[in-house]
Amino acid sequence: MMKTLVLGLGNPILTDDGVGIHVVRAAVAQYVPADAVTFAEASVGGLRLLDALAGYDRLILVDAIQTSGGRSGDVYQLAASDLLASLHSGSTHDMSLHTALDLGRRLGMKLPGDGDIVILAVEAEDVLTFSDSCTQAVARAIPRAVEAVRAELEAPLSSAESTQPKA
Amino acid sequence: MQKISIDPITRLEGHGRIDIFLDEAGNVANAYLVIPELRGFEKFAEGRPVEEMARITPRICGVCPEAHHIASAKAADAVYHIEVPPAGKKLRELLYSAFFIADHTVHFYILAAPDFVLGPDAPPSERNILGLIHKVGVDIGRRVIESRGKAMDIIGLLGGKTIHPVGALPGGVSKAIDEEERAGIEATGHELVEFAQFSLQLFRDVVLGNRIYLDMILSDAYTTPMYYMGLVDGNNRVNFYDGKVRVVDPKGKEFVKYSPEEYLDVVAEHVEPWTYLKFPYLKHVGWKGFVTGMDSGIYQATPLSRLNAADGMATPQAQAAYEEFYSTLGSKPVHGTLATHWARLIELLYAAERLVELATDPEITDPHVRNLPTATPTEGVGIVEAPRGTLTHHFVTDERGIVQKCNLIVGTTNNYAPISISIKKAAEAFIHKGQLLTEGMLNRVEMAFRAYDPCFGCATHTLPGQMPLEVRIRDTEGRVVEILRQHLGK
Repeated sequence: MMKTLVLGLGNPILTDDGVGIHVVRAAVAQYVPADAVTFAEASVGGLRLLDALAGYDRLILVDAIQTSGGRSGDVYQLAASDLLASLHSGSTHDMSLHTALDLGRRLGMKLPGDGDIVILAVEAEDVLTFSDSCTQAVARAIPRAVEAVRAELEAPLSSAESTQPKA
Repeated sequence: MQKISIDPITRLEGHGRIDIFLDEAGNVANAYLVIPELRGFEKFAEGRPVEEMARITPRICGVCPEAHHIASAKAADAVYHIEVPPAGKKLRELLYSAFFIADHTVHFYILAAPDFVLGPDAPPSERNILGLIHKVGVDIGRRVIESRGKAMDIIGLLGGKTIHPVGALPGGVSKAIDEEERAGIEATGHELVEFAQFSLQLFRDVVLGNRIYLDMILSDAYTTPMYYMGLVDGNNRVNFYDGKVRVVDPKGKEFVKYSPEEYLDVVAEHVEPWTYLKFPYLKHVGWKGFVTGMDSGIYQATPLSRLNAADGMATPQAQAAYEEFYSTLGSKPVHGTLATHWARLIELLYAAERLVELATDPEITDPHVRNLPTATPTEGVGIVEAPRGTLTHHFVTDERGIVQKCNLIVGTTNNYAPISISIKKAAEAFIHKGQLLTEGMLNRVEMAFRAYDPCFGCATHTLPGQMPLEVRIRDTEGRVVEILRQHLGK
């Protein structure tokens, strides 16, 4: 059985940083449970993130992102190869998703292939203020991101392609 | 004045970076570490039940959630004026020992070792964990990941969850362990002691066995004498979970030893106009600016400072390693920033030995792991040693246990001023007028702050990445004349 992980990543008490987790919580409420799909959330990166991914064939990662000139609430679909380095590192303990996956594969861990990793990223407005709710523009993007998760779950494996903003 | 910026975090405005200012002559005039401040945690905490804080504060930090979990639980014990039963206390410390093993392993092998195994001048594309594994072999890489994974499994078993543990409650922990679980932890503990000894031997072979690296550790560029802070037990030996906070002066003499509830009598915070973050210092010495020594209240809280602030280690193999550390480096206290890596490995060994001690303690399987709170809650302080330094949680509640005031001093915050000073010292040594800046030179500056294992922002953020580095060289008009970059994406 092919196992899929839908992982919301971020800090749920840091305003928009937690949008990935809010998206996954909303997706769980709408999704008919299936053995092959696991919904999870994590507020970690690097090796700890690798722990969460081990054992899955496909990954749909939902996270916040901040891009130069991006509009708050835009939803992007990215592939693993788009993230050779990333914009925001919480600490020197972090390694990029790309490096973590590379490391895990070299050490023989079972991990999704790059072609079976889709990253849904929501443009964040505020990732520095403690709050358990998102800013308005980002909160309004959650249903669109949930729809993107649903569409990905219905897509066949190895279908990930990088695109420009979906909304 | 010229300005060089090393941006270790992101290209986005307002986030963490290193600013090095050059004087008119082209030499280093000053250096600062600028860290973004996360806003409003105190306000976020107000109005919430204090027992929830042990589940909320771990979300502050994606690197050390266990430290926040345990510090908040200890503060809640104090708020409720409740004693934790022996088994509950030991299970918390058992989890905490496993956490130190996992955390120190990650720091040494992923952040520290590449500089020494690959060399500080190796290209950044090779000077990382993947390059390290290529050099030392995949079997060692696998052993590192497996050892860390086993420590994480113990955290999951004791804490209920591997990533954000929930096991500690006011008055104890939620779950006892049975004999089968205990035996499993003990067996893993013995493996982890072997792994810690293996890691120390690797350090001896690669770093101490190379005269250039030993000289680098002892060099003036990485030497910053200051006050040192660390938690100690009743015999003044290093402890991560409990005890009193001891501070020694730059000559190693005890300056103060205080209980958690006394921290505001000892530590004050200085404000600078160029950063929102505050700089803790010793109140009774005073803030004298970004200088170190007997007359400056700046202190550090790191693995090195914990060893300096203590009289020894509480386990035999770690004590032997402690004695070797000071006899090799020639004096106590040790002031070399890069010696922090060695100190971290001695702590790794202590944590593994302590894990075995606790797993073989006759009380560890006692089912009485929690005393229920009955007293009216008021105010409490909880202190633990986080891997990155002394962590203080302080809550004031109303009579229902609802938080009215909250104050946290996190590990890296203690070290904010020392990191800036260490960066300046290294920059002065490696950046001179007329010299072409190389990645190796900048890496040597970066090594000064990487030794502290700083945790910027204390949060896990959007799409975590490798250490991006940007160096901007500006002329006296502020114009950028040269940019060096690494890990800054496409």
